[in-house]
Amino acid sequence: MWQTVLIPGYKYSNLNAVIRLKANIIKIVFTVILIPVIVCPQSIVNTKHNLSVSGSGSIKAESETEICVFCHTPHNSSPQKPLWNREDPALNYNLYSSSTTDATIAQPDGSSLLCLSCHDGTIALGNVLSRTLPIPMAGGITTLPPGNSNLTKDISDDHPVSFVYNPTLAGIDGQLNNPAILTGPVKLENQKVQCISCHDPHTDLFNKFLTATNQQSELCNYCHDRTYWNSSNHKLSSSTWNGMGSDPWPHTEFTTVAENACENCHNPHTANGKLRLMNLQQEEINCLNCHNGNVAEQNIETQFTKPYKHNVSGYLQIHDPEEPNVVQTRHVECEDCHNPHASNNQSATPPYVSGMLAGVKGVNTNGNDLNPSQYEYEICYRCHADSPDKPPSPTIRQIEQNNVRYEFDMGNPSFHPVESAGVNPNVPSLIPPYTTSSIIYCSDCHASDGTNSPKGSHGSIYPQILKLQYLTTDYTPESAAVYALCYSCHSREVIINSTGSFGNNVHRRHIVWENTPCNICHDPHGISSMQGNTTNNTHLINYNTAVVQPDNLGRLRFEDNGTFRGRCYLTCHGEVHSPRSY
Amino acid sequence: MKINIQLLSVIFIFTVSISFAQIANSPHDFSGQGWGTTEICEPCHTPHNSDATIADAPLWNHQTTTTTFTLYSSSTLTTTTLTQPDASSKLCLSCHDGTVALENFGGNTGGTHFIGGNANLGTTLANDHPISFIYNTTLATADGGLYDPATHITELGGTIEEDLLIGSKLQCASCHDAHNGYNNPSLLKIGNDASILCLTCHDK
Repeated sequence: MWQTVLIPGYKYSNLNAVIRLKANIIKIVFTVILIPVIVCPQSIVNTKHNLSVSGSGSIKAESETEICVFCHTPHNSSPQKPLWNREDPALNYNLYSSSTTDATIAQPDGSSLLCLSCHDGTIALGNVLSRTLPIPMAGGITTLPPGNSNLTKDISDDHPVSFVYNPTLAGIDGQLNNPAILTGPVKLENQKVQCISCHDPHTDLFNKFLTATNQQSELCNYCHDRTYWNSSNHKLSSSTWNGMGSDPWPHTEFTTVAENACENCHNPHTANGKLRLMNLQQEEINCLNCHNGNVAEQNIETQFTKPYKHNVSGYLQIHDPEEPNVVQTRHVECEDCHNPHASNNQSATPPYVSGMLAGVKGVNTNGNDLNPSQYEYEICYRCHADSPDKPPSPTIRQIEQNNVRYEFDMGNPSFHPVESAGVNPNVPSLIPPYTTSSIIYCSDCHASDGTNSPKGSHGSIYPQILKLQYLTTDYTPESAAVYALCYSCHSREVIINSTGSFGNNVHRRHIVWENTPCNICHDPHGISSMQGNTTNNTHLINYNTAVVQPDNLGRLRFEDNGTFRGRCYLTCHGEVHSPRSY
Repeated sequence: MKINIQLLSVIFIFTVSISFAQIANSPHDFSGQGWGTTEICEPCHTPHNSDATIADAPLWNHQTTTTTFTLYSSSTLTTTTLTQPDASSKLCLSCHDGTVALENFGGNTGGTHFIGGNANLGTTLANDHPISFIYNTTLATADGGLYDPATHITELGGTIEEDLLIGSKLQCASCHDAHNGYNNPSLLKIGNDASILCLTCHDK
């Protein structure tokens, strides 16, 4: 019959009114006959879902002109609504599941099943009920070709659908909004999240047929209300990608961290990391794609190339957000120490956690779980205290202890001041601003080496992920460099050059003349009050028994005789102290 | 000038189309079927003694259906005025529900030819586009996916209300012209190339 004029950019309307103004009687007559049809971008006509020959997408019919027919028919429809024109796909989907999902997820139903009648890739696009033969598609395409929009029968890597989202679920989960507030673009269908909650198949205003923009994860946030999120750098940062390396945001059009928000790490469909729909299965890559200097300022990725590190790349899919605070199976991922929904730039002083460690669960000084950790060491205690699979001590000592919670306990005869200020009121070597009232972080010693390295115990060229060199091999010639770690707080000058028995007889003699490392006599963390005492184990004295042996009477001990005074029973470097006092 | 030539072409085609738009030889021309009658109008109409049971039925001659239909329902259906088919739609269904024989007209009730194939909608209309509901500005506003019938112009030149609705209701005759006045497939009033008919009302 007559021609329909499709002019993108305008709403369906006729131009009668406009043309009448031109006072051209002939044109008025023609217009009445013609009724130019003008189409705007929010019509299905201009979307990829126009599968007719006039469609704008790459997948379209060879010659079929009808648009609605691919989904709807006015008569003899399938039992599915609305007036559905396609058969239902088989209900044999591999479903999403994760330890953090509280919803009950069953096989897709409702309108999601309609979407899947194309988007699982099993039913030909042109296979509609109202036609005897399938509508031929251009290029001989039958089913949806492989790609992002073909979800396949494995929808375990897609955001779950067809689950009831009610106040009960929101209450159990604790990080979902009450669905009663969903009066805007995100809608439920019979209390269930379905594809149409996020997608409007007829309208493509926000790309991917989304019902709202996902800039700053607006769409996600209609339902998801993550604890701590509002103050998180991942919500607030305006950092952009410098264009180096791989694109950290391959599935969005957004260009800042804040704009990408959830999608910095998560992918709602065909997620490579199925559990929790992570962009990538290898947990740490989700972080390091930005934390490599290409988006985030600090290059954490480089730290993990060093020989001594929290080896996040050495473990795959062992970490679980629901795991006990006390880690049972040894592993480490970025999320063991950092909460990406909470991390921020808030500074702190020891022992309090900085913003980088905000919102992370831990174990307190009494061995009790807590969430979030208040103090930094509480995060370390997850693995280095009561964990049955904790790393061993690197040094064999008189008193063996590799539970660092016991080592740092503030009731101990001596300890480095991690949980509280130390017990020794007299530490002349301390370099200001350190005083005997100071508290330090675990990460003041255990941190990435290098002057400008990012904070935190990511990776180091020194064993035990120490920030500075700390040689422990016996007969090490003393220098500022070999004990740089100790000397960063304890003045080398005071330690080895001060006059009097403490400087002369104890430290200079042993460290300089005998080439004995600090580590041979001192146990840097502390000695548990359950094993040591205030006579024999003050000043972190706990001999390395690979070097220090009992004296000729079998005695191996230190005795504290007051300020700068003590007595040792031992054999070392061929010398017998039986005892020797200072 | 170029535009005018195109427009003239269009009006020419339109005129030619009109000349063929008639019931004769259309799917509703049963004169050659060998049953009932050789007249074209008689299966539906009679000049005298017509059945006036159904209001406004135009000189009705065919036995009417007594079916109580199963109606369309859907969670996304906005109308609250959907009723049993009424007015002219009931006349259509007097053949198209498959319960009344085609030749049951003029008082005959013993016909043996029933409608078949896709044209037989059956007694369940749950899988058919709803009919006999009021489509007005209120419904369009409530639905959000329908054009305002009072203002939206159809391909026929008037508003939806003027061109397609009957007494503010959507009926079979909103989409179909039983007399093939427009010479479209399926007796449609507006051809459905590019789904223009659907998109006349549906703002999708």
